[in-house]
Amino acid sequence: MKAKAVLCAAAFVILGICGAASAADTIKIGVLAPITGFAASDGFSTIESIKLAVEKVNSEGGILGKNVELVYYDDAADPKQAVPLANKLITQDRVIAFVAGSYSMPSRAVAPIFDEEGIPLVAAYALHPEITNGDYTFRNGFLGTTEGRVAAYTALELFKAKKVALVTSDNDFGQTLREGFMGYLKKTGREGDLVLQQTYPSSEKDFAVYLSKIRDAAPDVVFFSGYYFQTAPALKQAKEMGISGIRFIGEQGSDSPKMAEIALDAAEGFVILTNLDRDDPRPLVQEFLKSYRDRHKIEPDMVGASAYDAFMIIVDAIKAAGSTDGKAIRDAIAATKDYNGLTGVINGFDEAGEVLKPVQLQEIKEGKFRYFGIVTDSELIKP
Amino acid sequence: MQLFFEQILNGLAIGSIYALITLGLALVYGILRILHVAHAAVYTVGAYVGLAIYSRTSTLLLAVPGSMLSCVLLGIAIERFVYFPLLKYPPYVPLISSIALFLGLEELCRIVAGPELLTFPATLPFPSFSVAGVMVSGTTVTVYAVTIAVLAALWFVTAKTEFGLAMRAASLDMEVASSLGVNSKLVVDATFAIGSAIASLAGILVGIYYNQVYSTMGTMPAYKSLALIVVGGMGSTVGTVLASFLLGLGETLLISFANIPLPRDALAFIAMILVLMWKPTGLLGKR
Repeated sequence: MKAKAVLCAAAFVILGICGAASAADTIKIGVLAPITGFAASDGFSTIESIKLAVEKVNSEGGILGKNVELVYYDDAADPKQAVPLANKLITQDRVIAFVAGSYSMPSRAVAPIFDEEGIPLVAAYALHPEITNGDYTFRNGFLGTTEGRVAAYTALELFKAKKVALVTSDNDFGQTLREGFMGYLKKTGREGDLVLQQTYPSSEKDFAVYLSKIRDAAPDVVFFSGYYFQTAPALKQAKEMGISGIRFIGEQGSDSPKMAEIALDAAEGFVILTNLDRDDPRPLVQEFLKSYRDRHKIEPDMVGASAYDAFMIIVDAIKAAGSTDGKAIRDAIAATKDYNGLTGVINGFDEAGEVLKPVQLQEIKEGKFRYFGIVTDSELIKP
Repeated sequence: MQLFFEQILNGLAIGSIYALITLGLALVYGILRILHVAHAAVYTVGAYVGLAIYSRTSTLLLAVPGSMLSCVLLGIAIERFVYFPLLKYPPYVPLISSIALFLGLEELCRIVAGPELLTFPATLPFPSFSVAGVMVSGTTVTVYAVTIAVLAALWFVTAKTEFGLAMRAASLDMEVASSLGVNSKLVVDATFAIGSAIASLAGILVGIYYNQVYSTMGTMPAYKSLALIVVGGMGSTVGTVLASFLLGLGETLLISFANIPLPRDALAFIAMILVLMWKPTGLLGKR
């Protein structure tokens, strides 16, 4: 009996050692992305862009002498699916860091789970403020309020609009954009120039009724925010309805190659706020754009570039920390300075874990996003 | 005033689309007393098949009949192999199988066509025009034209033909109709065929109108059309069409002039609850 117990104990110890050994062979970084569901093309972009990053890191010798292993699951942009997958990444896969490559709702649901475990998290593009509430949480994308503020600045200052309109979705994303936009109007005393403020349900498909209201309000510029599968049909409908003389601007939700594919020539001249400049001359950016285009025959987008950066910020932090300890990585991410990213040169992160970097303006020309401008004023781009 | 007029036209377009999607559901309920939730999946399949044919042939003249034919076959297959064997059970049994079928077909579309949203870049054959300073786009004109054509054809078949008489007889009491010489099996097949063909048209039309085809495009129609047939009066096709237009107009005017923070999709269900509370037979229901 006793011999059996000893044997058992020995077996467990050996198993434990083997387990530990195999776990330590690679450095595991976890990702959740919406690979299926309404946001599937964003999930594709996220995962495929990070895969390029993994290949780059591993071909250059990995980190701390080990290869990086990407562990990713599909959360379908659904918080209910994301939470168990986050737990799986932590308890079974034992990832040492996490890229939140999904939308605000699921990212918000999983952020506290990683934070509690002391696993550093970098959100790629989700823009809800609460995602970065923890000590171990960072964001590579812009806050909704930042984008809203820059949108108002773009409309009033760059396009010299005398009258503006604001259209947002009724979800988290739209609400934070609205706060930023209204905040800027208030600060500059231009609230009176807002001729229409309109929300639409996030499930909306038909925008004719909103577009009629916009035409009636006759603004010079309308900040028409939303995802590409909303803004693209809206632009298409606007053209069909013969709306002209009103400039439409959008934000990162419209940063997708699908935009021009759906809206066709109605997308021409649409200006968005985003963080990927396709005309950025830095070799890093052009190499990424080229490898993505060569491999997938489609245009890369800000979602993928942001996920790539979020992943590389973690990789750099692990290198800098010289350790896979959660606290050490967290401190290294917090100390990031002038990081040369796809989505611009990242000045660093503030106390709250929010990124500091310029906002890009891109315009659709001949179906492709091209450089339109850049906003670097720290008062505007601050989180 | 111009805005009001414009919004009425927008509301009619939305109502037309609701009517096209919901008609099949009302027809099937009228005959079999089954809530055919999977009808929304037939609509999705219709859009995908239409797109598949269009992207290979570049002509709607093949895509539309091809898609309609596929949907007719799919609709009859659903009736023969799923609903008919289950008719002897309480109504919730076919309902549950219908929901399962809906989800299954949605997933099938996703697996076959991929999770990506696809575009349907066909141009519709109608020109845009202006009335009283309001421009009506070509796509909107197409929506009106298709809806009017479908409603007229349906009215002709049900009101003016012998077959329509058989349909109405079967919907009153299938057993009595059968004993009086109505081929009720054929009537049921034809009902599913007509409903599914209209769903296919609706799928293609919506796909082109918004230039998007995706596997979950049937989700919203699946639940909204249930509310619509309740409001219209279970099984009443005229009531369903009326409810569809009222909802389209109601949603549009609500967004346009009230700007209350209520999601537009809620309106259909508020209407359904009110109808169930005060007039459970619906707007034009008899039973």
